Amino acid sequence: MNWFQRLFTGKRMEEKLDSELRFHLEQQVAEKVHAGMTEDEARRTTRLEFGGLEQIKEDCRESRGTLGVASVLQDLRFALRQLSNSPGFAITAIVTLSLGIGASSAIFNVIDAVLLQPLPYADQDRLVSPVMIGRTGDTLPSSYLSYLDERAQQRSFDALAGYSMFGRVNLEGPSGPVALSAVKSTDNLFDVFGVKPLLGRTYLPGEDQPGKDNVVVLSNEVWKSSFAGQTDVVGKDVQLDGTPYTVIGVMPAGFRFPLEAHEAVYTPLHLNPSWAKARGMHWMQTVGRLKPGVTNEQARTDLNRVMTNLARAYPEQETGHTVARLLPLDVAVNSLDRFGKRTLAGPLGTLALAVLALLAIACVNVAGLLMARGVKREREMALRSAVGASRGRLMRQLVNESLVLCFAGLLGGILVGWTVLKAMNVFLVNAMSRGGDIHLNFAVVAVAAALSLLASMLASLFPAIRLSGADPNRALRAGSAGAGTGRSQHRLRSAFVITQVALSLVLLVISGLLLKNLQGLLHTNLGIDAGKILTTRLDLSKGHYTGRDPIASFYNPLLEKIVHLPGVQGAGVIDMLPVRSWGDGYGIHITGQPPYPPNVDMGAETRYVSAGYFDAMGIQLTRGRLLSPSLDKSENAAGTMVVNQAFQQKFFPAGADPVGAHIDDDPKPELKSGIVGVVSNVRQALREPQMAEMDWLMDEITPKDRMQSLNSMALIVRSNGDLNALVPALRNAVHEIDPTVPFKTPETMNDVVSDSLTLDRLEGWLFGIFAALALLLAVVGLYGLVNHEVELRIREIGIRMALGSTRTQVTKLLLGKVALLMLSGLAIGWALTLALRKVLSAVVEMHASHDFLLLAGVTAGLALVGILASLIPARRAASVEPVQALRTE
Amino acid sequence: MKKPAQLDLPQGTLDLLILRVVALGPIHGYAIAQRIQQMSQEALQVQQGSLYPALHRLEYKKFLAADWKPSDTGREAKFYRLTHKGKLQLENETASWTRLTEVVGLILQGPQGETS
Repeated sequence: MNWFQRLFTGKRMEEKLDSELRFHLEQQVAEKVHAGMTEDEARRTTRLEFGGLEQIKEDCRESRGTLGVASVLQDLRFALRQLSNSPGFAITAIVTLSLGIGASSAIFNVIDAVLLQPLPYADQDRLVSPVMIGRTGDTLPSSYLSYLDERAQQRSFDALAGYSMFGRVNLEGPSGPVALSAVKSTDNLFDVFGVKPLLGRTYLPGEDQPGKDNVVVLSNEVWKSSFAGQTDVVGKDVQLDGTPYTVIGVMPAGFRFPLEAHEAVYTPLHLNPSWAKARGMHWMQTVGRLKPGVTNEQARTDLNRVMTNLARAYPEQETGHTVARLLPLDVAVNSLDRFGKRTLAGPLGTLALAVLALLAIACVNVAGLLMARGVKREREMALRSAVGASRGRLMRQLVNESLVLCFAGLLGGILVGWTVLKAMNVFLVNAMSRGGDIHLNFAVVAVAAALSLLASMLASLFPAIRLSGADPNRALRAGSAGAGTGRSQHRLRSAFVITQVALSLVLLVISGLLLKNLQGLLHTNLGIDAGKILTTRLDLSKGHYTGRDPIASFYNPLLEKIVHLPGVQGAGVIDMLPVRSWGDGYGIHITGQPPYPPNVDMGAETRYVSAGYFDAMGIQLTRGRLLSPSLDKSENAAGTMVVNQAFQQKFFPAGADPVGAHIDDDPKPELKSGIVGVVSNVRQALREPQMAEMDWLMDEITPKDRMQSLNSMALIVRSNGDLNALVPALRNAVHEIDPTVPFKTPETMNDVVSDSLTLDRLEGWLFGIFAALALLLAVVGLYGLVNHEVELRIREIGIRMALGSTRTQVTKLLLGKVALLMLSGLAIGWALTLALRKVLSAVVEMHASHDFLLLAGVTAGLALVGILASLIPARRAASVEPVQALRTE
Repeated sequence: MKKPAQLDLPQGTLDLLILRVVALGPIHGYAIAQRIQQMSQEALQVQQGSLYPALHRLEYKKFLAADWKPSDTGREAKFYRLTHKGKLQLENETASWTRLTEVVGLILQGPQGETS
């Protein structure tokens, strides 16, 4: 007995029980001696009459209530001792359970935070985001004027707000300038969400009009990070983009709109006058709160009634402009495209299935381990039963052992889950708009743990019931560790192995396809040497450039400085960084060509660049000339541009020369913009095909309009040296010219590519890890099974070999069995994969012909690994010495 | 020495007998066994294997309390005594036992062959 047990059972209790019984014994002996027996004989007969002293003690303890802390702790201690006797088994089981529980609770946590937790708004089921489409079926937001009409004429919304998220603003804080997201909206944005400010107020009606609109509402994050959570911040003036704004309110923690806008400030629209007046400028996103009782469909019909009116009044801009869907906000938040057709629910659902499969594999594995252990312990159990342990008592002991395993697995699982979430954190924040809200939630861990506890208890209960029912007579007589007793559970374990192989195959197939797709995307031909290019965004504060030309006072001197830094081969700026942003384009028509049929997309992307951009990116000129500040000036009557090869292919027949052609961007022939050169393609978006593109020189914009278009540009620096070593020099260069520009650490274009594939990488890695774990567990299961089979059949093998069987034949015999198991597992796995194809398509599409090699490789690989895993025990069986085998036991 | 034929105790009866014996005054386990044997005129012999678990059960249920005191032989022994709860239990059980035996006796000794 150790101190621990003494603490609880009470050494005294045990001693008293002992002395009470001993007293009885002595009395009886004394009486017999008194009656004339010799001391020895009296002692012997008394012993006989007494029966088992320990048995009586155990019955006494039992009758004191077995549920006491004492007995549970005693059982626990016993279970721990049993497990520490076979550390290999214990560690395997615990690690297996930890992985299963950890992986599943991590994924369930993500699902809970992203899909299940309500949004931080009041009445979220009434919040919708209208998806508007134009004539060609592409998304087309509202113009400001149309929005005003929609707002005035609609009858289904309590509030319909417009907003744009184009903005970054520079806040001049105490510790230098910080770039924040600026959510610019109409005055009723906060009415939509029904969330009260923590401090101060939100916008008053009409506060989005020029003159009154230099007000700002701070998000809780910004209030804490830039204003140290001071409560007197309301009413103070702050500098946003160099202009003073009055802080009118602070939102409570958790409020965020749009949900991806971390570190945001909210300001009225501050419309560019040209955007406010043009019905053709479709840029405004809307979000609304339905009136109580109004259905989604009624509201859509209502809005489309307004759109029909608008189309009648402004046919040129509004024909065919309709509301395709009113996307519920909780769907919109997690949608992966603009229509909400693909949402995170798909990939996350599939991930949930994957972790459940992993959990199932883990449980099956532990059950298999417990069973194998059970067979080895059959004699032990029979012996216990023979000396009087009741069936219930044996069950309790076995269940206790499993409980200890489960509990250790749970602790390990929490650790694994926490680590997994930590490791995924960066991915999650980038991939999901609510990714930053994901933390290890104990309610979720509890659910995952309960699930796995239940599963593993069930798994352990089956062997427990079987074992506790072992007939002591038979088990003890059977001599060699139950040659026949293992049969039925051997079949069960075979079924387990088949299940594992099948589930592993499904996971391997998915992860194989995902990783292949990911590789494809990562190695998309961008048209540039991404590893040599460093990029960062430069956000100028508008307030500091009123009446100043940003090119002359900022971009030109900056680029001049950077070009002369050691190692730099070229530098330039562009308004939309390839790969990261795209979608700024419109339909064009080449002068002289017949009208294009309607409903055919004849759009081209447009970009503003500096003259050095092409060299910095490594773009080649294929025809004509590049742009140059000395030729392409703002004083020119007509604009000039270069187009890419995709543009040439889209708009010109083969062999035709685009150089010298014009587009119909102005009715007067002398004002039509002309193409002066053709350059090689640079991919705009990884998931989209190469798009046609027109690049204008930023110098072509008249100086007074420049700040409007050029306030936020991507800097491109090309170097053949160490890119990271350039960063401090770049920071200095920026701050020497304008210290109010926030300097964000530059990334290579390779990083930009990785960033844009965050969700793909997350999926790829998670499935890859799950599949690897599943494979590992399946191999452990298979190895255990074959090993066990060899142990059970060692006599049989010995006899076979004594009768003339060769080693090869014995190996073949065993491997034949394994092959059968693997084949069944693979067949079931394939059936499962095909059956689940619809569900899995949320994550990955399978094309039998295209992916044939991969699929065949995965299948063959799994089979091979299975055979290899069983080869070790099989070889051991084949090296059995017949004489020795027969002599064993 | 020929012993009279021994009887098997019906389930639960041992507890009742123990309570009855302990009701006479504090007593240790060995003496309880002796006393039952005597009082039943050697017809009942209580096995230690049932006696002690029963004692511990009754103690656990708070029908009995126990103290360690020196016995006649001078050795420390565990003396059981009846608690208030145990006394009530003894009365109840005795009443229902008496009623049960009466009823059973009534049926077993009742007029025979009354069937037509």
